[in-house]
Amino acid sequence: MRNWLVGLLIVGLVSVWGCQPASKDQQEPQREVRVAVAGPFTGNAAAFGEMIKRGAELKAKEINEAGGINGMKLTLIPGDDTGTEKEAKAVATRFATDRRILAVVGHFNSACSLAGKPIYADNGIVELSPGSTNVSVCEGSDWTFRNLYRDDFQGEFIAKYIKDYMKKFQTVAILFDNDDYGRGLRDGFSAAAEEIGLEIVASEAYDRDNTDFKAQLTSIKAKNPDLIFISGLYSQAGLIAKQARETGITAQFFGADGVDSPDFLIIAGAAAEGTYLTTPFTFELGGDKAQQVATAFENDYGVLPDTWAALTYDAVGMIAEAIEKTYNKDATLAENRKAIRDHLASLDTPEEGYKGITGLTYFDKNGDTVNKPAYVKIVKGGEFTIAPQQVLD
Amino acid sequence: MEQFSQQLINALVLGGIYALIAVGYTMVYGIIELINFAHGEIFMLGAYFAFTLVTVFNLPFWLALPISMLLCAGIGMLMDVVAYRPLRNAARLSALITAIGVSIGLQNLARIIWGARQRPFPPESLPTFLRQGIPPTESLPAFSLTETAIALPGGAYLPYRDLFIILLAFVLMIALNRLVSLTKIGKAMRACAQNRVAANLMGINTNRVIVITFAIGSALGAVAGVMVGVREIIEPTMGYYKGVAAFAAAVLGGIGNITGAMLGGLLIGFAEVFGAGYIPYGYGSGYRVAIAYIVMIAVIIIRPSGLFGKSTATRA
Repeated sequence: MRNWLVGLLIVGLVSVWGCQPASKDQQEPQREVRVAVAGPFTGNAAAFGEMIKRGAELKAKEINEAGGINGMKLTLIPGDDTGTEKEAKAVATRFATDRRILAVVGHFNSACSLAGKPIYADNGIVELSPGSTNVSVCEGSDWTFRNLYRDDFQGEFIAKYIKDYMKKFQTVAILFDNDDYGRGLRDGFSAAAEEIGLEIVASEAYDRDNTDFKAQLTSIKAKNPDLIFISGLYSQAGLIAKQARETGITAQFFGADGVDSPDFLIIAGAAAEGTYLTTPFTFELGGDKAQQVATAFENDYGVLPDTWAALTYDAVGMIAEAIEKTYNKDATLAENRKAIRDHLASLDTPEEGYKGITGLTYFDKNGDTVNKPAYVKIVKGGEFTIAPQQVLD
Repeated sequence: MEQFSQQLINALVLGGIYALIAVGYTMVYGIIELINFAHGEIFMLGAYFAFTLVTVFNLPFWLALPISMLLCAGIGMLMDVVAYRPLRNAARLSALITAIGVSIGLQNLARIIWGARQRPFPPESLPTFLRQGIPPTESLPAFSLTETAIALPGGAYLPYRDLFIILLAFVLMIALNRLVSLTKIGKAMRACAQNRVAANLMGINTNRVIVITFAIGSALGAVAGVMVGVREIIEPTMGYYKGVAAFAAAVLGGIGNITGAMLGGLLIGFAEVFGAGYIPYGYGSGYRVAIAYIVMIAVIIIRPSGLFGKSTATRA
């Protein structure tokens, strides 16, 4: 008798609990749209991940405060790819098969964007990267876009900059991260260096999980280069700068956008001083709109935004605009996802382009952004400053 | 020649660090035949504890190091009592899976407490001889590192910090060796390693011996963690990378054998550094960890139980 009662109670509870979400869905149909944000929120590129998340959150907050997208609330779903291919595939599969997610902003690391690319393409969902610069990220997929430059441009830019504006540095050693980003950028740089007659005296690789670079640096020291080009991310670059000085290396350091994080300054400490680096965007030269965003960001998070926060802010804005212009609540998920892709692909001229804080973004037939310039920064007095010599055309 | 002597120094420091961690793996394995995968996390926690003590509690570094060792010893003991003791007589696979679980748990706990971003020790919190030798940029290219390093003939530098790490590793290794071979608790450890049931029958409190083993191994791991934190960087995943290399060192030396772990650590350090330093075209530097494993596999093929391992069938 008692068992029978308990059984009835359980059945009753389960059915009540089971019904509730369903009825809620019916009451408020389509009150929110979901966009995923994928990035290295943990792992050894976590400083980038934090900025990416905050940049996205700030844009979403602004959109929702202004009434959302056609009255619908924009909800961001974060996915941590830890900066590794393996996790990126898992995150990509989760997002691509989630029937509530309309588009993905991410990934950050080139290796992760490349790993996610076929998964997003197979499931027909947009992947808009605010940070991947490897040459082949957008190639061969209609669904992958990015809102920053490629490494063939960046590598060539750095080689030419050294040749033209840093004339006393004639021999270069390269230290590259042994992944898609590090190798791709090294290739871009070496090809241009060879063409313009910049001598490369050493090219050493390292593994991203490593924190001891003394063996590679000792080899490089024997070649006595004038300049070391670090083709990798900020945390290893910071350790490399520090350990290089300690090994007795006096060379100038030059990094690329992977080094552009405030954490580089923290990790490298005094060794960061004088380092040159390139970046796809800088708030100092970004104009009034960018300054307003920087102030809003600082109010919310207590720190200034970096380049990646800005690019993610714009990427979320682009997706939101695409949803606003194309979303049809009666259409299927696949149709809505496709409409977002078609809208992005239609932004193929400067006139059509999206005007964000990082400048004008429009795509070529691959989904690459080819119009954005590279800026040069120098570390001075423990801070990033704008290099006096910029090449912006 | 300069390059060679510098690489020798690089290898000795790395090897010393690996040896300190490897001993923790091998001691535990020797006694309860458990590969304690969470040992790498103890190493990581050691670095974070010392970091917190000097940055938040403003303790001097020489006080933070022993406190961090004590805290890690405590965590090691707790780990045994909470996670492994209930499984002492269970299948070995259960304990192994538990170890992996503890490892993942501790790594994520560290991420929650200290965040996922890397942190260096603030230079001003360290005694002068442990600081990184970074000359002011204005003095480049002509500068000397004599404040923080010994300049060896031929242009190589031996930083005082690295000398300290090498000496500390050797002193601790010798002390551990003496402890195990001369003291009463050392004798009890060896008895447990030979046959735990028989040791128990002879009146040895094996649970106590095991807990002490965890404590010693963890304290040594903490020293290695603090030293890596000072020399390189502190991050939640540091225990995984260095831990796996140290585990390879323990296997290479013959897991369960303390002298083997020390030599295995040095050998892995040498293989990594000299592989990266002398194999050309980026094959060495890009695959330095792989080279260390190739050396390990080569040794295991020739001597399946490692350099100093007992070749008994029952231990396989």
